[in-house]
Amino acid sequence: MADASDELVQESSALTRSDLLKKGTAAAFAVGMFGALPEKSFGFAGPMKFAKKQLAGDLRIMQWAHFVPAYDQWLDNTYIKRWGEANDVEVKVDHINNALLYSTAASQVAAQSGHDLFWFISPPSTFQKQVVPLNDIVQEVTKKLGPMTKVARKSTYNPKTKQFYGFPDDYAPDPVQYRRSYLQEAGVSLNTWEDLRKGAPKLKAIGHPVGLGMSNEIDSNMLLASLLYCYGGFIQNEENRIVIGQGSNRKGAIQALQVMRDIYRNGMSDEVFAWTAASNNQAFLAGRLSVALNAISIARSAENSGNTALADDTWLASIPRGPVMRLGNEHVMGVFVMWKFAKNKEAAKKYLVDQQLAYREHFIRSGYYNFPAWTGAIKGGFKEIRRMTAQDPHKPKGKYTILTTIAEKYTTNPGHPGNTTPVIDEIFQTWLLPQMFAEVAQGKMTPAEGVSAFARKANAIYRKWKNQGLV
Amino acid sequence: MTLRQKSMTYAVVVPFAILLAFPFYFALVTMFKTNLDLANVEHSPYLYNDLEGGFHWDFWNYATTEHVRFLFEDTNYPKWLLNTLLVGAAVVGITLLLAMPAGYALARLAGGWGQTAGVGIFLIYLVPPTLLFLPLSRLITQLDLKDSLWSLILIYPSFTVPFATWLLMGFFKTIPQELEDAALVDGASRLKALYLIILPISLPGILTVVIFAFSLCVNEFIYAFTFISSSEQRTVSAGIPNDLIRGDVFFWQSLMAATLIPAIPLALLYNAFLDRFIKGFTGGAFR
Repeated sequence: MADASDELVQESSALTRSDLLKKGTAAAFAVGMFGALPEKSFGFAGPMKFAKKQLAGDLRIMQWAHFVPAYDQWLDNTYIKRWGEANDVEVKVDHINNALLYSTAASQVAAQSGHDLFWFISPPSTFQKQVVPLNDIVQEVTKKLGPMTKVARKSTYNPKTKQFYGFPDDYAPDPVQYRRSYLQEAGVSLNTWEDLRKGAPKLKAIGHPVGLGMSNEIDSNMLLASLLYCYGGFIQNEENRIVIGQGSNRKGAIQALQVMRDIYRNGMSDEVFAWTAASNNQAFLAGRLSVALNAISIARSAENSGNTALADDTWLASIPRGPVMRLGNEHVMGVFVMWKFAKNKEAAKKYLVDQQLAYREHFIRSGYYNFPAWTGAIKGGFKEIRRMTAQDPHKPKGKYTILTTIAEKYTTNPGHPGNTTPVIDEIFQTWLLPQMFAEVAQGKMTPAEGVSAFARKANAIYRKWKNQGLV
Repeated sequence: MTLRQKSMTYAVVVPFAILLAFPFYFALVTMFKTNLDLANVEHSPYLYNDLEGGFHWDFWNYATTEHVRFLFEDTNYPKWLLNTLLVGAAVVGITLLLAMPAGYALARLAGGWGQTAGVGIFLIYLVPPTLLFLPLSRLITQLDLKDSLWSLILIYPSFTVPFATWLLMGFFKTIPQELEDAALVDGASRLKALYLIILPISLPGILTVVIFAFSLCVNEFIYAFTFISSSEQRTVSAGIPNDLIRGDVFFWQSLMAATLIPAIPLALLYNAFLDRFIKGFTGGAFR
């Protein structure tokens, strides 16, 4: 047994190796921990401050992780720093996967805390009661750049409240992307939906089916609503009342459902019912698909893959014409909202205005993905945009020129010919359109039954939002 | 064991091992693939191919480290790894600190209702985070912990402690009461008996809690995603799907590298303590 003198000797002795390891580990953990928790502790890396300047505050922005990483890098490391220094504001942009935007927004609203500006991939009109109207900055930008595009206006303006609930920032046209060699081999044209209906079996026969999604994801929503427009099967009218179950709208919707059912049965495969937003990209890039509707991420990914045979064979076209019109939804409508609980509203507004005024650089950096909501943001408007896209160096030379035509003439907002109301947003967020098309394609319903069931649900949603005074 | 028995064992184990190791192999191959090789469906996905799809033994000449470099240099991946490690270590510490005395008390001191309370505590573990993240999100905001690793350190024990308590309670019950009684008779206090007698014997159970709690922290997504929105503060589970799936484009090679790298040490850890881990899980199975 140790006596008192032994204990004294032990206490006064130098650190043992074991002690050193224990204390060293604890110290390293403490240092690491506090170093990694900058804002809640006395860590190493607190928020950056601009030298010799009094900050006007912080600005937190949430937006998607752009499919062009270089765009986000430029935005985060160059653009916002430059703007922040010029305005004495510490700007921080957080990026998330686009599929998680709505759930993140919902959690921020529930917590009544979050970013000052929140960017959505499609018009988030169901959040109207949570946001600050932005009529003042819309007017300010319009004064400087001229009128905004119709797609931007109808996506963000609520005629009932007479408010712009969101600030339209950018939109991406939704071209058809196709493998030219496959279509030539099968002798298929994409001029009309009827052409595609007839050509789909031929494309499937050569081993390259058509890829049009009917799944709970945004690409399917956009595409299927577009198909309805082409056949005159509008969900709502210009006054934003649900009309799909009535008259020519019902007839057009039934025709659109029949066309999609035929294309699926003869020219597609079951996978389209389980697609995510990325699936058509992946199937196309893997060489399986002959036709897909998507923003230019497919064509750009093909170019970036280094597979020149695939990239050169990937061509763009406008949406096929239907018996009523040739018109498609935007693929992405970038809308910023400013939450009521935003902490730095003034800086947020200035940021949005300045960004739109300087959108030419955003358009270029995004690889012509982000078209400006105000075409006047690019001096010369669509004429200049056409010149720029025509100069894209990828083969076939000039393949992106059609993008300008689509953006200018054939792109509209969800809910056309009306506005993107909360009713339309909820119909999109609850995936009623792909579900209707899928059930008809699978033979679970006739097209007429599908339209009737859809109209009932849409009317119920309409009544809900009417009671809330937003339609 | 006879030769026949051995053969039978290997006949079952080897295919199973290959099956389980396959995702690791696939991730390993993919992370070094060139875009051109990956995008061509006529190329074998399990090998490195030349432009025509041919295989060469000097396969490293047909691979690239570009995507791993992208992961480490152009994303916050190293920070996510560090954050995960810090959160995991802190949560494991808190879990042990709370679950050990709780498990011991329920096993030894709580009498008849100890078992019922143990089951009750375990049921808390089963409440899904999908239900809890909205109210907890509000709590985190009120505590001003948004965008801080502290939010995870505070919330994660809400699911690690109940499970660990239940597991340790079962484990403590397997330890003969007589050992403790002997220590008490020899003059040890209950705390001393716990520290000197029970804990060393309970090492497999404690180790199981450590590994399991750490794995839960690494895998958890909903809280990590909801409470933290700045990329540099994220953990791997939220950082990878957020920053490596951009729009509708997947950065496959970087994704594979990002998932494989943390999986390897975890797999090694499981392997190194496999026997104790099994013992820890089954320790209380019959009590």
